[in-house]
Amino acid sequence: MVKLTVDGLEVDVPAGSNVLQACEAAGREIPRFCYHERLSVAGNCRMCLVEVKPGPPKPMASCALPVAENMQVFTDSEMVRAGRRGVMEFLLINHPLDCPICDQGGECDLQDQSMGYGADHTRYREPKRAVRDKYLGPLVKTVMTRCIQCTRCVRFATEIAGTPELGATARGEAMEITNYVERALTSELSGNLIDICPVGALTSRPYAFAARPWELRKTDSIDVFDALGSAIRVDVRGTEVLRVLPRVHEAVNEEWLADKARFAIDGLKHRRLDRPWLRVGGKLRPAGWTEAFSAISARVRAVPGNRVAAIVGDQCDAEAMLALRDLMRSLGGSIDCRQDGAFLSPARRDHYLFNSGIAGIEQADAILLVGANPRHAAPVLNARLRKAWLAGGLTIAGIGQPVDLTYAVNWLGTGLDTLAALHAGEHPFRETLAGAKRPAIIIGPAALRDPAAAALAWQLLLAVDGVRPDWHGYNVLHGAASRVGALDLGLVPTGAPLARALHGAADLLYLLAADEFDTKAISPDTFVVYQGHHGDKGAAVADVVLPGAAYTEKSGTYVNLEGRVQRGQAAVEPPGEARPDWAILRALSDALGHGLPYGSLDAVRQALEAANPVFGLLDAGPALGAMGPEGPAMPDDSVGRAPLAELYANYYQTDPISRASPTMAECARVAAPYPVAAE
Amino acid sequence: MFWQDVTTLSLTVLEALAILVPVLLCVAYATYAERRVLAAMQSRKGPNVVGAFGLMQPFADAAKMLLKETIIPAGANRALFLAGPMLTFILAMVAWAVIPVNNHWAVADINVGILYLFAISSLGVYGIIIAGWASNSKYAFLGALRSAAQMVSYEVSMGFVIVCVLLCVGSLNLNDIVLAQKTIWFCVPLFPMFVIFFISTLAETGRAPFDLPEGESEIVAGFFVEYSSMSFGLFFLGEYANMFLMSSLTTILFLGGWLSPLPFAPFTWVPGPIWFLLKVFLCIFMFFWVRATFPRYRYDQLMRLGWKVFLPISLFWLVLTASFLFAFHLLPHKLA
Amino acid sequence: MARLDRAARSLFLAELLAGMRLTLKYMLKPKVTINYPYEKGPMSPRFRGEHALRRYPNGEERCIACKLCEAICPALAITIESEPRADGSRRTTRYDIDMTKCIYCGLCEEACPVDAIVEGPNFEFSTETREELMYNKDKLLENGDRWEPLLAKRLELDAPYR
Repeated sequence: MVKLTVDGLEVDVPAGSNVLQACEAAGREIPRFCYHERLSVAGNCRMCLVEVKPGPPKPMASCALPVAENMQVFTDSEMVRAGRRGVMEFLLINHPLDCPICDQGGECDLQDQSMGYGADHTRYREPKRAVRDKYLGPLVKTVMTRCIQCTRCVRFATEIAGTPELGATARGEAMEITNYVERALTSELSGNLIDICPVGALTSRPYAFAARPWELRKTDSIDVFDALGSAIRVDVRGTEVLRVLPRVHEAVNEEWLADKARFAIDGLKHRRLDRPWLRVGGKLRPAGWTEAFSAISARVRAVPGNRVAAIVGDQCDAEAMLALRDLMRSLGGSIDCRQDGAFLSPARRDHYLFNSGIAGIEQADAILLVGANPRHAAPVLNARLRKAWLAGGLTIAGIGQPVDLTYAVNWLGTGLDTLAALHAGEHPFRETLAGAKRPAIIIGPAALRDPAAAALAWQLLLAVDGVRPDWHGYNVLHGAASRVGALDLGLVPTGAPLARALHGAADLLYLLAADEFDTKAISPDTFVVYQGHHGDKGAAVADVVLPGAAYTEKSGTYVNLEGRVQRGQAAVEPPGEARPDWAILRALSDALGHGLPYGSLDAVRQALEAANPVFGLLDAGPALGAMGPEGPAMPDDSVGRAPLAELYANYYQTDPISRASPTMAECARVAAPYPVAAE
Repeated sequence: MFWQDVTTLSLTVLEALAILVPVLLCVAYATYAERRVLAAMQSRKGPNVVGAFGLMQPFADAAKMLLKETIIPAGANRALFLAGPMLTFILAMVAWAVIPVNNHWAVADINVGILYLFAISSLGVYGIIIAGWASNSKYAFLGALRSAAQMVSYEVSMGFVIVCVLLCVGSLNLNDIVLAQKTIWFCVPLFPMFVIFFISTLAETGRAPFDLPEGESEIVAGFFVEYSSMSFGLFFLGEYANMFLMSSLTTILFLGGWLSPLPFAPFTWVPGPIWFLLKVFLCIFMFFWVRATFPRYRYDQLMRLGWKVFLPISLFWLVLTASFLFAFHLLPHKLA
Repeated sequence: MARLDRAARSLFLAELLAGMRLTLKYMLKPKVTINYPYEKGPMSPRFRGEHALRRYPNGEERCIACKLCEAICPALAITIESEPRADGSRRTTRYDIDMTKCIYCGLCEEACPVDAIVEGPNFEFSTETREELMYNKDKLLENGDRWEPLLAKRLELDAPYR
């Protein structure tokens, strides 16, 4: 620790901190543009000037100045004030005063800081510079004349996103931020450039000119586009969700958010189910709730209980899943959450969790990816892996289709036979895993389609001492936000996943927003009820369609891949006659004569907690270490040699909302063929 | 025989029209004049848009009044409700039969003219009472009660004032009363009586500052709050006709009727009816002037003024007048 | 003596007469009202009347959808929706003023960075229906076109004080 004084206040900060951090610790706000806690220090905006004693008789950039013992820092001296005023005047020389047409207006660092530290007029009378706008794809809009060359975007793209596509050309006044060629950014985290840009140079293209920050109603929620459960803020004007921004959650998403979570929301306005539909004579026609319910109950009476089945979708909240589970239990039917056909068992919680935790994975020193593409399944988690890899000491190998994950991956093979070979000790990477202090395996959906993969991976990890009381390296990378919650509720039937054995398996199939499986496998004579928010694949084959609520329209509980229970609030009302899903199921259960025993959201949540106590532990991180060495059961089948499929060929359109989104469609259109890792 | 009857009847009708048409015309323009005078005293312009100087305003108002819907409240006594305004209007018209606008120019030059007038004006209260009661509304009822009490109170002092004048004249014939003022108008020797009489006419006609029966700010519009359209119009006409009647009475009793102010040329060149009209208009102007100047009385003040001030004073002055006339043998020969 | 004085005053109605004298005096004075539809009072260049959206001399609408007027409006009378126009510029797709809510405070005009929304000299815009007072962008632009000479004049006159 280093002791220094800031404006006469004594503070202790860790050695290696910079003066800016010391000032923050002392509660002094230092204006800054280029400095960002999660990026490297550039020191080029000069806004964070402070006066330092002992030192040269000039203001110093506090972000680039390491602290020293007995340093005296002055953040509000005449010299500092004059320095900041001067810096601000220089910054504004070439910044256009077009705040009224700038989307950053109202939430702009430059605007705020020029109010706080700038002069009240300009002395600059010469022509201002103008810079040609760059095309950065359908998500990020540029107005490069507004750029103040803080290079945060360049550093973000290079350091965090790992797609070094941005850079600065020329020097001095001619300096421009550019992506060199007119091509869309390839990062799945490009939306964060918008947040990180302190001015209006990089703004959101879909949100362009749509609203002002002061018009928006802000609701805290949880992202459902991947299993990470990123903390988000839903910004709403009237009844329309206009944008989604990340909230800071150090243990989950830090302050980043994936592009799909941020930009797919315009899909909430298209192809919505806003009233019940009923198939009559082969065609769906609008119907009333009572009509739809009586059609379902007529069918339920005609079908034996064990011929009723339900599949739960990827974005469902735990409340709806609990209601459906209880309804299915009272009918005697089966229910499954694994619509991708993954072999996952709810028997033990650490068999399906990301056990090292999202933040904990940074401590791993050897990681084996088995059929996992974290860049697509969870881009923010991928940024964590990259961060750990950049910090050094981390070796990453992969089994599956080689892809560019923004860090070096040693691709060992494409099929699970490689995993078997590793397990048998016939592969050199086994030595690396065995030598690692904290080895980890991240097993993804592509591998979990093989019934033996989970058991094999667990046994390999056990063999290299990766499952210990102080470290649990077995990590399942889920693709679906609802999956862990569903497994916590035990939504798995006996036998193979339902989605694999649909044909002739059921006479009545209840789809709770389930669209990500082969609907053609459903027998033509199966009566299908689809309850969801978008007219997607599931609704197309349904005999009765019940309009549910999307994630922004209901208060829901979600469990992320590390088992963290989080709650999102409803930001808007569901459209038309649509209702929150648990309420629909509650009403349907009455119509079927099997009334569910909860009548309010609070009661559902109490029932959730009764069903599994983890639902009572809001925002609790993963437990440290393993409970025991017993792994998933090893089936008798031999391990397949076939290459593992790439599950997310198209990152941008993976669910009903993003498939309905024009923005995501445009992203998928302009996305370059996915870059393959250089060998 | 028959033709004689027809002739008499036609003549009567013509005579009646000859007095009623000018009266109604005057009433119409009195509303206009009142608005203009009030406006002028309040530094405003008043109605000046309909016709030249707004002179067509009374006709516009009349047209509006006639075209509006007559609303009869659900709880009202229909027959009495309609009878009220008619009674008021008819009484206001009937009184004009005895008013002489020139020497012997009266429809009915009867020898008890002043008694007739007094009787008719007292009957006016019935119209108001009927209207207030038949409306079945508390405001209307309160207004009617106030009106009745007010009229009864002020008629007492008015009666004494008239007796005072009669003492000096010795006749109940209105024509004789005017002729008795050839030497001097009664407003000079009986000046206090004149003032009391004028103030009492204000109260008798329910004009400001004694417009408590209407009392917009307290009882909305008093006894005619439920009236609309022409039934309201009849009350309105009646009120203004009464103003003219009272002004005529004042003219006859105190201002020398049709007599010219000074009994020589060029004043005598002007015909008597013109003088009569001018005097009436002066009185009417006084009505407006008073309205523009004074705020409304409180009810107890009104009663106190009537019973505790005007009654003793007029009684005292009556005794004084009688004593004076008796002492100096100035009583008219008919009484002597 | 004072009592006597008061008694005399009330006996001879002195106060009443004084009052009547006053009203008579006023009757003979010039009127303070003007003959409204034919004569109009003087108007300050700062008069805040009916709203208008102005254009640049080349016909381009001034409003850039910055929404500052919407934000400052204390009566929440202004509703704006915006999106990029085909040429990429920021424009309103909707600019509504509810004239029944408006309190004519002039803050919208004050907030406007491009002198687009102004309150003009027109105060004679009564309508027969309430709906007609829900002004939309077309109506406001039409107002701007109709009143532009006067609007420009009043801005010019007021400019030295801004």
